[in-house]
Amino acid sequence: MSNSLSIEPFNRLVKLTARAFYDDISTKGDNQPKTSRSDNRGTAVVILDALTRRQWVREEDLAKDLKLHLKQLRRTLRFFEEEKLVMRDHRKETAKGVRMHNAAVSATANHHYGREGDDKIKLHTHSYCCLDYAQIYDVVRYRMHRMKKKLKDELDSKNTIQEYICPNCNKRYTALDAARLISEDGENFLCESCQGELVAESDKLAGQDVGDADENVRRRRREKLKEMLQKMEEQLKPLVEQLNRVKDLAVPDFGSLQAWEVKASAAARAAGGDNPDDPSRSYQGGTPMPFLGDPKIHVDISGVEDKEDSKSGTGSAPMKVLPPWMIRQGMKLTKEQRGEGEEESKPDVTSEPAGLSDDKKSTVVKDDKSIQDEYFKAYYAAILERQRETDVKGEPDVSTEEVTGQNTSLDRQVGLKSKREEQSEDEDVWEEATPSAGNTGESYKVDLNVQAEPLPEEEEDNDEEDVEWEDG
Amino acid sequence: MFFHIILERNMQLHPRHFGPRLRDKLVSKLMKDVEGTCSGRHGFVVAIMGIEHVGKGLIRDGTGFVTFPVKYKCVVFRPFKGEILEAVVTMVNKMGFFAEAGPVQVFVSNHLIPDDMEFQSADTPNYTTSDNSVKIQKDSEVRLKIIGTRVDATEIFCIGTIKDDFLGVISDPGAAS
Repeated sequence: MSNSLSIEPFNRLVKLTARAFYDDISTKGDNQPKTSRSDNRGTAVVILDALTRRQWVREEDLAKDLKLHLKQLRRTLRFFEEEKLVMRDHRKETAKGVRMHNAAVSATANHHYGREGDDKIKLHTHSYCCLDYAQIYDVVRYRMHRMKKKLKDELDSKNTIQEYICPNCNKRYTALDAARLISEDGENFLCESCQGELVAESDKLAGQDVGDADENVRRRRREKLKEMLQKMEEQLKPLVEQLNRVKDLAVPDFGSLQAWEVKASAAARAAGGDNPDDPSRSYQGGTPMPFLGDPKIHVDISGVEDKEDSKSGTGSAPMKVLPPWMIRQGMKLTKEQRGEGEEESKPDVTSEPAGLSDDKKSTVVKDDKSIQDEYFKAYYAAILERQRETDVKGEPDVSTEEVTGQNTSLDRQVGLKSKREEQSEDEDVWEEATPSAGNTGESYKVDLNVQAEPLPEEEEDNDEEDVEWEDG
Repeated sequence: MFFHIILERNMQLHPRHFGPRLRDKLVSKLMKDVEGTCSGRHGFVVAIMGIEHVGKGLIRDGTGFVTFPVKYKCVVFRPFKGEILEAVVTMVNKMGFFAEAGPVQVFVSNHLIPDDMEFQSADTPNYTTSDNSVKIQKDSEVRLKIIGTRVDATEIFCIGTIKDDFLGVISDPGAAS
């Protein structure tokens, strides 16, 4: 389930990478003449983009979707495989295997896949491909590191060969000549022709500006390098930012083809086997709103038992609330992760309109947008309900205060104090504590509370409290 | 890098060795001639492992010397650019230091020594970090990277760097004592 959490930023990373590094990749060999018609640069970007919207996909299907020739697609994919961006899997399979994959695909992807000709396919080798997000992250980082290091090394003249110059006769030597330049005492390098002491060239450059043409070339080269490094940092800034953004996110991992198929088809079956091709059941893929298609969301609002059922049905672990420092821009969070799930579960205890959950269920088949709207509507309705509930509860409290006000001032102070303390705590505790405030008007007040609180357990609790207090 | 290769050489043998131990003499002369030499093409010949084939000898007119074409297996050492070597420092001066990695001599100039190491011209000239924790002097063992080679017909000379990750002193004679 955690896949869909971070897939969006990772997809953005892939798209940025594609545009930064694979923009001008041509699948044609260099020996072939490049005419404007056969220029297919940019195809690589399109293919990568298409892959971000899919999980494991059969290459034939991908080629059909992209209106590309299969051979061309394969060539590009092979290139990406070498670049460690995609995983590929080849296997011999019968029509049955293809159907199994189709089922898995339709369970995860947003659109129907053509199933024509399934039965005609005999034992064929089919290739599948999928983005390897974990590796992409590493590969891109390594690539950037190498680029930067190479430029920096050149700039720092880290691996360049030191040159020496004779101040007397301007004869130049390189460090490679060091062995025969070394003086008798091993202290200095001496010029072969005039026996003058050599100086390292960089020192000379610092000391005085030599108007040498060679010198100028070097300086210009240095400036060019510096400029290049600057440009690189500037142009790759979005990519670097995206890398930093996904740094702490869980990497989406679809697993191997077999594992993915098993998982996807199992999920499809669990989500309701009667309609496995339901396009709205976008489960964990790179669909825009993957969570809203999940059946788990709409049951959150309805009864507790329902929620439990659906959880075991989809086989997904309960989501954890992410701490605020972990939430980053570009992350897709569910309500539960923001910690709002608790608020949702509270209305469960109060009486919820029974039609709401049914309503929600019917919306699942609609598209994501309407589901989202429905969801928010239901959510706000629940909040409103809750607010009304507390209002109702609040009113009797005021009245009880008035009632207790007739008693001695000492009693009232005690009651108020205890009430204030409890108010900061949980609702149920507060309601249980309120009876302690009163003595004469107690039974009346409890009755009011019961009317507002239709749940039987609460009533019993309050009754018990009553008895206790009457005894004391 | 070390290689195990087969080389060929024409050996000239004096007529006085023509006897029952001709072959032994040929091999020992080959070892004496070849081991420790350097060719720009193959690198330093470290050791001869065995004789592959001895061809038919050709008697030279006038001298009586006989030339045998001999094929022999040997281990050669050829340094490459980018290779990491471990070397023993032989000389330190203000221009840098010289080190030997087996037969090959390597020069590390002072701008390829990390910037935090300073030249100290004491009685044993050395390069030392400011906190005295690392010291390069004569007989220190260093790990270095070759960044340039100069290959002559009979000589190979390298320049190296210790200005990179995991390079530098690996054992210090001063620290042990």
